[in-house]
Amino acid sequence: MTAVQDGAAPQTHSGVGRFLGQSVKRREDARLVTGHGRYIEDVLWPDAWHVAFLRSPVARGRITTLDVSAAAALPGVRAVLTGADLNPLAKSFWQTAMGKDSPQPPRRLLATDDVRYAGEPIAMVLAENRYVAEDALELIDLDVDAQPAVVSDHRGRWGAARDEELVHPEYGSNVASTLPYPGMPTENPALEEVLSSAPHVFEERFHQHRYICVPMETRGLQARWSPDRDLLEIVSSTQNVHEVRSMAARLLGLSEVQVQARAEDVGGAFGLKCFVDKEELAVAAAAYSQQCAVAWIEDRNENLVAGGHSRTEDLTVTMATDADGTILGIKGHHVEDVGAYPTYGVGGNAGLAMMMLPGPYDVGQYFYSAEATFSNTCGMTPYRGPFLMETVAREQLIDIAAAELGIDPLEFRRRNMITTEQLPFTTPMGLVLETITPIQTLDQAAEIIGYEDFRREQAAAREQGRILGIGFASYIEGSPAFGAAGAEQVTVRMDMQGKALVFMGSGSHGQSVETTMAQVVAEELGIDIDDVRIIQGDTTSAPYGTGTAGSRTATTFGGAARIAGQKLREKILAVAAVALEASPDDLEVADGVVSVKGTPGAAVTVEQVAAMAYAGHTMLPPEMEPGLEAKHRIRNPPLMFSNACHAAIVEIDRDTGAVEIKRYVVSEDCGNMINPMVVEGQITGGVVQGIGGVFYEHFVYDGDGNPLTTTFLDYLLPTAADVPDIEIGHVVTPSNTPGGFKPMGEGGAICSPPALINAVRDALAPFGRLPNVQPLTPEVVLDVIDGTAAV
Amino acid sequence: MKPAPFTYEAPTTLGEAVDVLGRYGDEAKVLAGGQSLVPVLALRLARFEALVDLNRVDELAYVREDDGAVVIGAMTRQATVEADPLVARSVPVLAEATRLIGHFQIRNRGTLGGSIAHGDPAAEYPAVVTALDATVTVAGPDGQRQIAAPDLYDGPMTSTLSDDEILAAVSFPVWDPGSGFAVREMARREGDFATAGTVVGVTVTDGRISRAAISLFGMGPVPLRARAAESELVGADASGLDLAEVGAAAVADVDPPSDVHASGRYRTRVASRLVARALESALQEASR
Repeated sequence: MTAVQDGAAPQTHSGVGRFLGQSVKRREDARLVTGHGRYIEDVLWPDAWHVAFLRSPVARGRITTLDVSAAAALPGVRAVLTGADLNPLAKSFWQTAMGKDSPQPPRRLLATDDVRYAGEPIAMVLAENRYVAEDALELIDLDVDAQPAVVSDHRGRWGAARDEELVHPEYGSNVASTLPYPGMPTENPALEEVLSSAPHVFEERFHQHRYICVPMETRGLQARWSPDRDLLEIVSSTQNVHEVRSMAARLLGLSEVQVQARAEDVGGAFGLKCFVDKEELAVAAAAYSQQCAVAWIEDRNENLVAGGHSRTEDLTVTMATDADGTILGIKGHHVEDVGAYPTYGVGGNAGLAMMMLPGPYDVGQYFYSAEATFSNTCGMTPYRGPFLMETVAREQLIDIAAAELGIDPLEFRRRNMITTEQLPFTTPMGLVLETITPIQTLDQAAEIIGYEDFRREQAAAREQGRILGIGFASYIEGSPAFGAAGAEQVTVRMDMQGKALVFMGSGSHGQSVETTMAQVVAEELGIDIDDVRIIQGDTTSAPYGTGTAGSRTATTFGGAARIAGQKLREKILAVAAVALEASPDDLEVADGVVSVKGTPGAAVTVEQVAAMAYAGHTMLPPEMEPGLEAKHRIRNPPLMFSNACHAAIVEIDRDTGAVEIKRYVVSEDCGNMINPMVVEGQITGGVVQGIGGVFYEHFVYDGDGNPLTTTFLDYLLPTAADVPDIEIGHVVTPSNTPGGFKPMGEGGAICSPPALINAVRDALAPFGRLPNVQPLTPEVVLDVIDGTAAV
Repeated sequence: MKPAPFTYEAPTTLGEAVDVLGRYGDEAKVLAGGQSLVPVLALRLARFEALVDLNRVDELAYVREDDGAVVIGAMTRQATVEADPLVARSVPVLAEATRLIGHFQIRNRGTLGGSIAHGDPAAEYPAVVTALDATVTVAGPDGQRQIAAPDLYDGPMTSTLSDDEILAAVSFPVWDPGSGFAVREMARREGDFATAGTVVGVTVTDGRISRAAISLFGMGPVPLRARAAESELVGADASGLDLAEVGAAAVADVDPPSDVHASGRYRTRVASRLVARALESALQEASR
């Protein structure tokens, strides 16, 4: 899968210009940090009926009574809808990226007859406000005859799914999906040979617990069906307005031209809002069937319990090395718990994890297998770096193997990393890595954190009874841009004033798209960045697109913006050439002025050019189309790559097991940076999520499938007080895609968990082996220090 | 997460508040800073016919010295307690414990009386009240009465106040010169309720411990006193203590709960070490 770019060849320059490559301040911030962000709850229609869902109180059971008559009779209630009312409206229910025919659990908007996870929606109240709606919920007569639930315990023993109890009887099995895909080889005999003959074979099963997206703004959607306008109008907190439109249209059997979807500011998503789930579709269906406006704002309790869950998996990695620690082969077996109704397909992330497990290493022989299992829990949804288990497991196993071999963990990595001389490097999965720099980022991280000095400090600290540790992790971030996601369009329109509106199918939810894409376009057009405005999040104005997800903004939208900008600049010069009676080749544009090179007096402003392009079209040559508008739909490779190395230093409280992160260093190579400050912001946010995942966040079910961490009192997010300063170094190696950009939005979350766990493991080495569990609560840590068996 | 309907009452004097509360009996709840009550209402984990809001009862917000004690009105904000010079001088451990309550936004709204009346067994203030032998003044239809610290709690989040009584003030005795105090807690994050914690007070006279108090929080249904460990301390040489042994003695009889954050076994181990650390610090302060 090489990076091939068709169409207009990108002009090459260093990646740093007047705007490009500069830490331009975020234009989103003025409104967002002063409380003037406009989120969906800020734009609710005054005539909207407010929704509250009746949700299942148990994980699995049969509904024996469902009587909504008292609730429906409560003053202020318009209707109480059940599955019997809404489910027949659902004509079809599948996510565009997965395709119509990919396997998935039996979808339904509202539960009927039975319930399959605690929190599953059973009925929806439409009332004049949410207070009354919740009052009405209490008047619904619901009885559920609870049945034994298929639930994993939090230490991950779900591999043997209880097959006598089926989560989805219609599916016929609790096994949702497996790898290898049908038709692929079921083993790699060469790897088996390596594993049986290698001097050293290491095998560990790593567990990653359930932790979840938790955006500040929860999900929310309002919809209005107007029969007289033949229009379903939707406002949603989403990463992808076009998917909202497609899902709603398919669900209700409408044409996509009958549906308009848009988004306001989106207060975070992290993957939760790239697909459209049943609650959102139920709101659209209710608006359609009731012929009115309906609004639902997910509350925090709903968001935690039923908003979509993530992680929750085991990965067993077997690694063979020779006597010197050279990796000869790797095998992975991945078991994922995808819950009852994963939002996309059957939800598993093993397909991507399989591609990425070798990471930045030359691993020799390779094989990967996987099994995803349904359970009576909230369904799997994507969360920043959904496939990160590959890095979490591999980087831990490397530290364990290096320690057993008596090799420094950095040296072990260097010995096995893909070198610049090996590029382009084809991985065992057939990925072609062209511009990665794993050794350079490893060396830079080690230098910034002062690795050698730390080892001396650690030894001295151990003498004093202090417990310090350092951990490293390296990875390759693969950005999936499969199908339409690899073909985004940017349209640049300059009106008669000479300012640029830029239309794109992105769905910014914290990525600074309004700033970075304006930098790209302003750079190409030679006008001021304040004269460029980004328009996104509206199916009536944006080119068709797949929204913002998968770390693709810089590479797909940025690449397309660059080429669209170049095309428009050429048009500006062509029109100016007419005005200046010069050849376009002799012209340049800067600061909003087109001038003849070397003759600054011979110039016209871009505004004059724009006026001429429209109003002065009679002066243009007959073959020239009037106006100033250009578009480009990019064709990017299905996977693009960046790389990074993370390093953490921790100190552990001997009495409590509490872990303090004393330093955190990242060295990354995402190619040319559009805006280094934004790059660093993305990394920082991702690292904070890794800190949360390793030390604090854990969504817990009891053995019967009852959720236990249903508020922020028990689901612990890291706060500013729990996060260290994050130091970031850059290695810049441009990619071969337009602009030289690389994907980097998810890496902070991917690489931080193993770096932190490795630091704790290193710190605890004098006491004993850290068990392969997550999260690393103070109790897990203290058990190692005190030599007490884990509970 | 919207509360069930309730009637809102906003009296402006303590007397009026007692009258209003008396009208509803156990159908009403007193609203102070709202930091625990409001989320519980929003989740519909509790519902009341009426809320009696004390936020306009100005007479309940004060800090003053009274006959060898520091008396603090129930509606005094935690942030006020934290910054009050009299508290800092005379009941310094109360200020120290206040800094461990939530975050400053919470302390700006949260009140001393609200926290103590709510009685979360993992909260700091009930543990300070318990350790210092503070006395609570409550107002009811028959006038005011005092409740001594050991009699204040029946169980988790259950005080011995009657439904028609309002916690009006808390009196913290000022310990003798030569005393030292410390509070130590383990919390998963900055500002969380304690997984385990302790408040320790000692008075040292002529090199020997003459008074000792150890309370434990997060360790049982109510804040606990480690009476056996305290009695071993009284009379002991302040400089010759085996701190770890005192810590172990302090948790010898506790049976703390297990939850998603930690097992009871972890709580016991950590509380023992926190007692040792707190005692060391309190002894240092006492000898200054």
